[in-house]
Amino acid sequence: MAVSDAPYRASPPRARRAGPNPVWLAVAGAVICAAPLIAVAALAVFGGWTDYFEHIARTRLTTYVVNTLLVGATAAVIAGAGGTLAAWMVARYRFFGRGAYEWLLALPLAMPAYAAAYGWYDLTSAAGPLSFLPTVRGPFGAGLIFGLTFYPYVYLLAREAFAGQSVEAYDAARTLGCGPRSAFTRAALPLARPAIAAGLALVVMEALADFGTVVHLGAPTLSVGLMRAWAGEGSLPDAARLALILVSIAFVIFFLERLMRRRARQSASSGRRRPPQRVALSAPLSALAAILCAVPILAGLVIPLARLGWRAMHAPVARGLGEAAWNTVLLSGLSGMIAAGLGLSFAYALRTRRRRAAFAARLAGLGYAVPGAVAAVGVLGLLGWVQGGLDDVWRAATGGPFPVLLTGGIIALVFAYQSRFVAAAIGPSESALSRVTPTLDHAARSLGAKPMEVAWRVHWPLISSGAALAGLLVFVEVMKELPATMILRPFNFNTLAVTAHNYAHDERLGEAALPALVLVLIALGPMIWIARRITRTEAARREAEADLAERTGAGWQ
Amino acid sequence: MKKTVSRLALATGAAAAALAACGPQEDVREVNIFSARHYASDEVVFNAFTEETGIRVNLVEAGGDLLIERVRADGERSPADLIITVDAGRLQRAEEANLFQPVGDLGGAFDQLPDSLKHPEGLWFGFATRARVIAYAPDRVDPSEIAHYGDIANPEFEGRVCARSSNNVYNQSTLAAMIANEGVEATEAFARGVVANMAREPQGGDTDQIIAIAAGECDVALVNHYYFARLARSDDPEQRAVAEATAITFPEFRSGGTHINVTGVGMGANAPNRDEAEEFMRFLLSDTAQRAFAELTNEIPAMPGVEYDNDVLDGFGAFNADDVNISELGRNAAEAQRIFDRAGWQ
Repeated sequence: MAVSDAPYRASPPRARRAGPNPVWLAVAGAVICAAPLIAVAALAVFGGWTDYFEHIARTRLTTYVVNTLLVGATAAVIAGAGGTLAAWMVARYRFFGRGAYEWLLALPLAMPAYAAAYGWYDLTSAAGPLSFLPTVRGPFGAGLIFGLTFYPYVYLLAREAFAGQSVEAYDAARTLGCGPRSAFTRAALPLARPAIAAGLALVVMEALADFGTVVHLGAPTLSVGLMRAWAGEGSLPDAARLALILVSIAFVIFFLERLMRRRARQSASSGRRRPPQRVALSAPLSALAAILCAVPILAGLVIPLARLGWRAMHAPVARGLGEAAWNTVLLSGLSGMIAAGLGLSFAYALRTRRRRAAFAARLAGLGYAVPGAVAAVGVLGLLGWVQGGLDDVWRAATGGPFPVLLTGGIIALVFAYQSRFVAAAIGPSESALSRVTPTLDHAARSLGAKPMEVAWRVHWPLISSGAALAGLLVFVEVMKELPATMILRPFNFNTLAVTAHNYAHDERLGEAALPALVLVLIALGPMIWIARRITRTEAARREAEADLAERTGAGWQ
Repeated sequence: MKKTVSRLALATGAAAAALAACGPQEDVREVNIFSARHYASDEVVFNAFTEETGIRVNLVEAGGDLLIERVRADGERSPADLIITVDAGRLQRAEEANLFQPVGDLGGAFDQLPDSLKHPEGLWFGFATRARVIAYAPDRVDPSEIAHYGDIANPEFEGRVCARSSNNVYNQSTLAAMIANEGVEATEAFARGVVANMAREPQGGDTDQIIAIAAGECDVALVNHYYFARLARSDDPEQRAVAEATAITFPEFRSGGTHINVTGVGMGANAPNRDEAEEFMRFLLSDTAQRAFAELTNEIPAMPGVEYDNDVLDGFGAFNADDVNISELGRNAAEAQRIFDRAGWQ
């Protein structure tokens, strides 16, 4: 996320750090990423005014705002508590199935929220097999669904933070008489707070931008009001204005998150790190941990997917899944890799602690809070404008229009994804880079390494898992993305998310099950790979630190 | 890591090249369709069209509003030959944005279409229709109690009405048609009455409302006729049981007529393949296509006198369709939504 304060205070704020300083690159990237949003803002400002705003303020606005707050808060509480607890257990304890849970716990992220909502609603409504449970509906139901499908953001970031944390603070708290619980809340948790906050910011913004889930569960939020302005009233400018309100809320969330990180700075940890030893749990506790970890996976993924799958038994098999799967992997893979690169360059820019850099990162991240359909309109408007310019120039030179139509191509799609999801890549990259202490830079520089050499030989082994995590988050986001994919894709080009949505939208839940399942299976590979990679990076980090300490001939503070 | 990355990059590069290479070939006749529809019958119809004419169908499916924005953004460069939406209001909006051009008489087929299903100047027309009906519990409701849409707003139905969200375009078009038939005031009174009668907050899709009636949660709900037909013809015994526990009736406005909406089509103003597009439109109105809509998606054919094999659809019997021109729906859409807002229909 767009935060420049790293959780340490070992150096004065503007101290030169070794490694690349691509501030200008980040600013340029941010402007490009934010361009569709700027197009939306232009629409809001220059579009015609009607009395729609007054109408909505008099009738529905209060409901929208209250629902938005309830949905966001419920999602944050569930994702925050569930994600943090799961991360803590997996990072610090040994229990039955821990190795598998390490990556299994991330899987619900691959489940589209609307699919989980359809499944749970079908199960718990009056005629469903789980009708003895309260029906999953309303703002709390929608918040629950978002909490269950997006908690992996918190889990993934917090797990990395817990795994990389020195255990000394925790141990010290224990020797000073804290019980395990209070040592966790007073020592370990504050250190992981920036990571948890970054994860929560993503969860809340996902919840704010969603449309399908809140409509199905009867919890209309601001994004519903926005879509109504467009679909019902036919006023795109009013939709754009409501989108700007959502963006302002996102800005506040960024601000709060930043505040969190600033506070976290006081709990600095420097000094030699001791690898966290996982504590073996007794048999009953081990079983309890295994059960607890299973709950979010069952509720967020297995149960709703099984319901869809059960419906699929009586439905014809969706066709063209192989091709859709390949398209999905192609688009998501390409976008994930580019986003990981962008995320890293933003992280490096933020590391310079320049205001421009912080502003750029925040600007680039804002696209995340806008409902996908509006973001898609921004991209369309922008591409149409660029196309017009290109056509004019080309016509003046050659007499014909520009040979390529920008919409309906892979490049337009990848651009749309970056502008919408780069926020998800900046957080993990920055979080990873913030744990590379300046002392490490100085040591490397004093040993004669050039800036890029520092980045490659010292930083990369330490931050590669963060970069991979950034790429993975965007990979999964792109896999699930709908509006931009639907409207910008080339002819006859399907993805799994589009296929699943087409069926679910037509109330054919059974046929939506198989594409949704394939979506989850595709996410499985990268998730396992990431889990292994984080473990390995921790080992690399420890080695590098020990090695450097030895070479500089002193324990470094 | 390095190896994995370079291998991935290689694979994606190759794939991108392959994608770029399979652009349109010059001697192939093709038609580019932007469609907001995704029904089982579509693929059958597209394939039958290609088989009959040799014209390849290129398809992009997305929501109607987004389709309009895409065609608008592409302007004169738009590859869209045909724009298909599942709601007359969207067609109207596309027309207002000057995205359509008039077409010929389609070999006489255009004249055979009922007047209410086509734009007065021939800029677009409906090729398959769906009726907004009332699903009810036959053991608790007599169909004579719900002969009119307005009846479900009566106090007798307090706590007995299930409804879908007013975001749903079918609810919006029903209200838009009611405005055209009964006026704004009566329509608002209807919306307020329904809200007062709701057994639960609006939630779920049309199918969910029918399921709720079968489960006894409520007694009546507005739904599209084909959702009921789909349940009745399902391979899934559980779904058939839902249809057996419920029934539908075709209510009318006070001024007469059951509300119908269309899946409609118009030709893109800058269509690059005009002839092929016209051939496709003609095919949509052919017996083959009309029959596929009736048999595979339980839609009511737009062309009169089409023969098809669908017992459930036949079982509904004849009904008196509202003869207000469907272009009215688009004109009243904004007012309809404001009525929902004022009435508090979520």
